[in-house]
Amino acid sequence: MPYTLFFVGLLLFAAIVAGFFGALLGVGGGIFIVPVMVLAFHLPMKIAVAASLVSVIATSNAGGSSYVDQHITNLRLGMYLEIATTIGALSGSILALYLKDWLMLLIFALMLAYLCYTAFATRNLDDRRIALGDFSRARQDRLSAYLNLRGSYHDEAANRKVDYVVSGTPEGTGIACLAGLSSGLLGIGGGVLKVSAMNAYMNVPMKVAVGTSKLMIGVTAAVGSILFFMAGLIHFYVVAPVAVGTTVGATVGTMVMNRMHSASIKWLFAVLMAYLAYGMFAKALVIRFHVHFPVLM
Amino acid sequence: MRQKETYNPPAPVSKAEQKIYSEVYDVLLLGMLVSTVLFAFGLVLALIHPHFIPLTRDYVLKDYNAAYFFRGLITLRPSAYMMLATLLLILTPVLRVLISIYAFFSEGDHKYTLVTGIVFLVIVLTVLLGRLGLK
Repeated sequence: MPYTLFFVGLLLFAAIVAGFFGALLGVGGGIFIVPVMVLAFHLPMKIAVAASLVSVIATSNAGGSSYVDQHITNLRLGMYLEIATTIGALSGSILALYLKDWLMLLIFALMLAYLCYTAFATRNLDDRRIALGDFSRARQDRLSAYLNLRGSYHDEAANRKVDYVVSGTPEGTGIACLAGLSSGLLGIGGGVLKVSAMNAYMNVPMKVAVGTSKLMIGVTAAVGSILFFMAGLIHFYVVAPVAVGTTVGATVGTMVMNRMHSASIKWLFAVLMAYLAYGMFAKALVIRFHVHFPVLM
Repeated sequence: MRQKETYNPPAPVSKAEQKIYSEVYDVLLLGMLVSTVLFAFGLVLALIHPHFIPLTRDYVLKDYNAAYFFRGLITLRPSAYMMLATLLLILTPVLRVLISIYAFFSEGDHKYTLVTGIVFLVIVLTVLLGRLGLK
């Protein structure tokens, strides 16, 4: 790789854009920066995944702190689910060491396709439920009661204190484990899986789910990063511009996020992810079967 | 579902939790800031003398030597600073877990000392598996 001002500048710029849009959509930059590194910069898949995973830690720190400060993050819920996500991340990163590049590209393409679908399908039902005080009424399961998983936060949009109790702990734990696996295997934060697990299965308000997921992403990505680091897959010259870029992009993106209507721009992200999914899929076929698909550009 | 049967008042935030909240905030932010500065410094050093960098694992593993690493910090070798930034970034969340264990333990919250302890054990297991030399 020619390490010139031009090459590094481009990579830095791509990372800033990925971090910015990742923060806007609340998915972290990994889901964008890995395809960009592989498709546009022609970096090997495993080096791209490892570099992305390290930068995911940085972006998690960037956005996560403000949620912790506002007490939106449910620390106990995060700590508990981290058991599942770290075990998942360890399994995922071990898998990443042994899987062939083309298979990882294929799995990444599938993940993009899934996220593309959820970007379309998610509707925010929270507002109605907050108004009804619905989140405090769910029945706690035994594990949730034992671990005292509940909380309250001040919702600025609704201008009221929202109390909630956590339910469906076993199901949520299972999905959190899957989210960790996808993080270690694909170099992404896996935030979308975690957030939907908490919001849909565990009766956790959306904002709390996002804040808690952000807290978990740091430790989850750290586990995968440790394994990649010891295996020599973290290429420092690739990580540096990617980490700096996504951190800057995510910090700016998080500041802008609160002022934007996410629903109106979600379709744009869905199109972008469909495009990247196609690119990753095509690249997987080129590597494995030497079949060339037309490039859409 | 009737409200009276299932309503649970929210648990008050304990002292330990408040302490963790504020300490977590500081640790995360500081780790991110310092590592970003170190990465940027390494990048500037690397771009003073642009050259071709191989994408092989051997090229990365060359830096995995304590003496070579510390000499690199003194001689301003870019990869030494980037490696330091990477390590710092990876260790930030680990440090956060350790602070949490301590805070829960000192508050006498055995359940959550155990929960955070298990998370730390997974991290230790990861290091052990890495030492075993997977791949």
